[in-house]
Amino acid sequence: MFSSLDISTSALVAQRTRLNAVSSNIANMSSLTDETGRPNPYKARQVVFESDFSMSSSGAAAGVRVSEIKTDNADPLYRYQPNHPLAIQDGERKGYVAYPNIDLTTQMVDALESTRAYEANVGVMEITKDLGRETLTIIA
Amino acid sequence: MAPPAMPAELARAGAMLGKGNLSDSLGGLAGLSATDTPSGLDQFSKLLVNQVSEVNSMQTGADDLVHQMLTGQNVNQAEVLTAVQKADLAFRMMLQVRNKLIEAYRELQQIQI
Repeated sequence: MFSSLDISTSALVAQRTRLNAVSSNIANMSSLTDETGRPNPYKARQVVFESDFSMSSSGAAAGVRVSEIKTDNADPLYRYQPNHPLAIQDGERKGYVAYPNIDLTTQMVDALESTRAYEANVGVMEITKDLGRETLTIIA
Repeated sequence: MAPPAMPAELARAGAMLGKGNLSDSLGGLAGLSATDTPSGLDQFSKLLVNQVSEVNSMQTGADDLVHQMLTGQNVNQAEVLTAVQKADLAFRMMLQVRNKLIEAYRELQQIQI
């Protein structure tokens, strides 16, 4: 009973982390420099989940946890803006500015997906809860 | 929110178990029907006391987490609410066991000799 609640909670935590990553990706859609101020466009964060078998003693059920948060290695988008203060000064990309390669549509779909997953897990918790209450009426 | 810890209820249940009047009367009943098993009943009352204290610690833990969440510390909402829900379910379970015991006790008291 409690382990299924724990499993659903682990999914809620994981999906919340994913939603955090998506909001970070969308918020930094036009971040051109890193935290040191060097021109280094933001790279999208991708959250990777893995099964977590520590939740249930039987090993039949698994929770989920965030195994790692990877940075997307897509090449930045180059836009020709020669007067931009961060424009590349020399080389073959002279006059271009590197922008983060973040696809808003993909990010929105990711956000929706994690929201739906969150809702589904809350639904499962609701069922588990009702089941527990219902079981208690046996003794009453 | 979980129901408040109901210290009066808990204290009453604990006192009853501690005094052992319930287990005494149950022991009498067991003596009538089968061979004497006082150790088994002792174990049961200990089990119950353990359960009560475990439920209590779950409630304290949940309260602690709620406090942390409400004071803006970095705890996950889902974890806090799950802890509260678990404490609630455990409490309800304990309450049902207690109700059952009280019911049995009343039943015994009403036996006419």
